[in-house]
Amino acid sequence: METKWAEENLQAIRMLMERSALYRRALAPIMLFAGMLGAVAAAAGLFFHLDSMRAFGVLWLGTAAIVVAGAFLIARRQAIKDKENFWSAPTRRVGQALLPPLFAGMFLGLIFAFVGLANSAILTFIWLLFYGCALHSAGFFMSRGMRWFGGIFVGMACALLCFVAVAPPNVEISAHWFMGFFFGVLHLAYGAYLYLTEKKNPVA
Amino acid sequence: MNPEPFLQLDRLIHEKGRLAIMSMLAASPELTFTELRDAAGMTDGNLTTHIRTLQQEGYVSVAKSYQNNRPLTTCSLTAAGRKAFAEYINLLEQIVRQHKPQ
Repeated sequence: METKWAEENLQAIRMLMERSALYRRALAPIMLFAGMLGAVAAAAGLFFHLDSMRAFGVLWLGTAAIVVAGAFLIARRQAIKDKENFWSAPTRRVGQALLPPLFAGMFLGLIFAFVGLANSAILTFIWLLFYGCALHSAGFFMSRGMRWFGGIFVGMACALLCFVAVAPPNVEISAHWFMGFFFGVLHLAYGAYLYLTEKKNPVA
Repeated sequence: MNPEPFLQLDRLIHEKGRLAIMSMLAASPELTFTELRDAAGMTDGNLTTHIRTLQQEGYVSVAKSYQNNRPLTTCSLTAAGRKAFAEYINLLEQIVRQHKPQ
């Protein structure tokens, strides 16, 4: 009798917690993984001189696809480890928030890269902007400063566009440097912050 | 059978409405009064009474502010509340474990 009651209570508690929960699964490992791949992709782009729009687009869209697949696997592995349902309510909400801006960024990336509508710095601006918007939207269902992180990307995107607009024509910086800094270094820094503060802050 | 865990359950949290409030607050850094009321399906009066009881015990803290010129009440668990809730869950799990066939 007591057992049944206790089990029912635990189930009700779990349901209530899920209903009001924020997404908190494997954020630090995902950010570190994304940052590492971003840095490697930037190094590869610079080393192999992948400067044409098509090569730039293929390299970074390919990297994004690997990051998404990797993030999915990391989150799924943690869900299995914790004996949790992977497609939980917070995960669903975060997925729904991320999808439209990420899809728009990918679609524009494909068009720009394969039709050659603009240069790689402008494409970097577009990706930063949409990625920042995606993180900011998802941040409403997450904590740990995700909305701020998204806002930083949007701000950096605007700063990059201003830089491209006012930079003298003889200044040529490969867009791989920008991508490496934003998608590599920033993610590594944020991942390290999450990792170092994870245990001190139980509300992840 | 060891009756200890059942007897140790915190009677204050044990009440259905207060347990719902504690559960929801345990999963979020803070929730507004409206969010809590809608999620728990309580009346304003009922929720106010439960929150006051939890606040008096030091389990919940209530902050009042303004958003778009409207008063906004947000609730969150205190460290003592988080600890009491964790202990309550541990005891429930203990009860379940005790009665499970080996």
